[in-house]
Amino acid sequence: MTWEFELIDGPYGSPTDGPVWDGETLLFTAVSVPSNTIHNKIRRFDPRTGEVSDFRRWTNRVVGLAFSADGILYGCQSGARRILRYNGDGSASVMAYKVDGKYHNQPKDLALDSKGRIWFADPVWGPPVVGGLRDYELAPYSIDYRAVLRIETPSRDAPVKRMTFDTTTPLDVALSMDEDILYVAESSDEPGGKRELRAYPINVDGALGEYRVLHSFGADHRGVHRGISGMCLDTEGNIIACAGSEGSGPGPMIYVVSPTGQVLETHPVPAEPSNCGFGGPDLRDLYVTTTAGHLYRVRETGRQGHVLYPKVG
Amino acid sequence: MSSEMFSPGFSRIVRPDATLEKISGGHIFTEGPVWNNKENFFVWTDIIDNKIWKWIPGQGARIIMHPSGKADGMCYDHEGRLLVAGWSSRTVWRWEHDGSTTVLASHVDGKKLNTPNDIIMKSDGMVYFTDPSNGIRNVGMEGDDVQKYVDYEAVYKLDLSDGSLTLLADDYINCNGLCFSPDESLLYINDTARRHIRVYDVLEDGTIGNGRLFAELFHDDHGAPDGMKVDTEGNVYCTGPGGVWVTDPQGNHLGRLLIPEDCANFGFGDPDYRTIYFTARTSIYRMRVEIPGLPTYPIPGISD
Repeated sequence: MTWEFELIDGPYGSPTDGPVWDGETLLFTAVSVPSNTIHNKIRRFDPRTGEVSDFRRWTNRVVGLAFSADGILYGCQSGARRILRYNGDGSASVMAYKVDGKYHNQPKDLALDSKGRIWFADPVWGPPVVGGLRDYELAPYSIDYRAVLRIETPSRDAPVKRMTFDTTTPLDVALSMDEDILYVAESSDEPGGKRELRAYPINVDGALGEYRVLHSFGADHRGVHRGISGMCLDTEGNIIACAGSEGSGPGPMIYVVSPTGQVLETHPVPAEPSNCGFGGPDLRDLYVTTTAGHLYRVRETGRQGHVLYPKVG
Repeated sequence: MSSEMFSPGFSRIVRPDATLEKISGGHIFTEGPVWNNKENFFVWTDIIDNKIWKWIPGQGARIIMHPSGKADGMCYDHEGRLLVAGWSSRTVWRWEHDGSTTVLASHVDGKKLNTPNDIIMKSDGMVYFTDPSNGIRNVGMEGDDVQKYVDYEAVYKLDLSDGSLTLLADDYINCNGLCFSPDESLLYINDTARRHIRVYDVLEDGTIGNGRLFAELFHDDHGAPDGMKVDTEGNVYCTGPGGVWVTDPQGNHLGRLLIPEDCANFGFGDPDYRTIYFTARTSIYRMRVEIPGLPTYPIPGISD
């Protein structure tokens, strides 16, 4: 089945990301530098009216978004190196941002589990922070690894645990429906770096076991093939992943990968995809954001999204 | 060497052999320096460490408030109470003599302020403060709510008689330090992001007008306009690349005081107001200078 990418909004000229369905509308992030420009927003697309409007402004480079099981929105504020909770009254609360007393890096994407724990990919990613202590000053107060981390309860005082010990550039995480597998996009574009879709078993004690590589991305005479920057799951447990670029390899692409690592489908995308998420009344539309700032929608995906929230009957 | 001359006029500011002395260390992000000229001690904030410190000559430093709401700039009012630009608390507040605190400003037009950064009081009791929003963006400086509500980065006049705020300027990327000229006819305000200082005429009603560019502070060294003060002759001292830049009232750069750490603010102190105390990230430094600074608030009876 050929997917048709319908342009909904953009391109903004700077990345869009974080597409999540809130039950009625699609929220996504518009990310740019410097952080106080108009494009730093969470935007809202209402498919009933076709309108795109501001949901939150002044978001300081919030990238990935996710809902908790009870419908509270969380985001990865890469510009200030923390996870935020967007409260119903319009305020924004900071979640715990220290691991063993040290600042974590720049969260890029996240997933909540049914226990309310926040799993997030914490690479050194994008531009350095602006203002206050600069990155070189923060370094002594910061962790010296790039891992998947987990905030144990959604609060400012919660413990934050390091979950992976074998990642260098984790860009996204996703939880299987049974929450027994953590999918991690390890996406280093360094020479010799790994670009892998990994499946880590989540042990009964909550720690991660040895990962399996479900898919890996190579390199050619033009350079490394861009690994996965964003992904989501369908109800069959498949991983819908955004990867690839014009610069090398097979091009900007959405991959549908089975839980065993079989590539079921590939869909060329008109622009470099940054992230994707299911939406629509029954979660059968796929929304795709891009590094150039598009919002696309694919209506006939033949798939239904699995999300923690909202529940679909 | 602790200073660098750009113009011969700098020799009147600081002696070539003046040295920098470190009086306190081990902090994270120091700010809010004020000298108390009644009891002769120095206070400052550590934003990230969430503390207010007091240093008494010969006795050393101790914490006088923790947590402090990640407070930032401070000044004294006419009764010797600290007025605090509350930064992460998103308020301006006063530290009363009985130890309690009073919020003086928290909202403008029904919206929560950004993050009040620096604060001064005019001799007539009017309070002026800057309200940039980087406190809600900076790592480790956050308060309970990091959503920005006001669309601009503003400078306000606060009338304590009725709590009213008057918007003075909203065309800054990052308004930061502010100070009056010695006769209070001019108000200087700097913009960290644009690396410049502007000057305004202070009008009869306490508002400002005729804003114009006063000076720009560009250099390869680290540092940007932040804390700013004047001396009794009207020279403008402003943090900038490499330390604190001194600019004459006509806008000519005279030289700079070199500080080994990024210096966010400083204040004149000691009974003769001829020592500058620098809040530079993890440390507090001081240096003797030749022209006295202005008292940070007019306490009656202070010696000239």
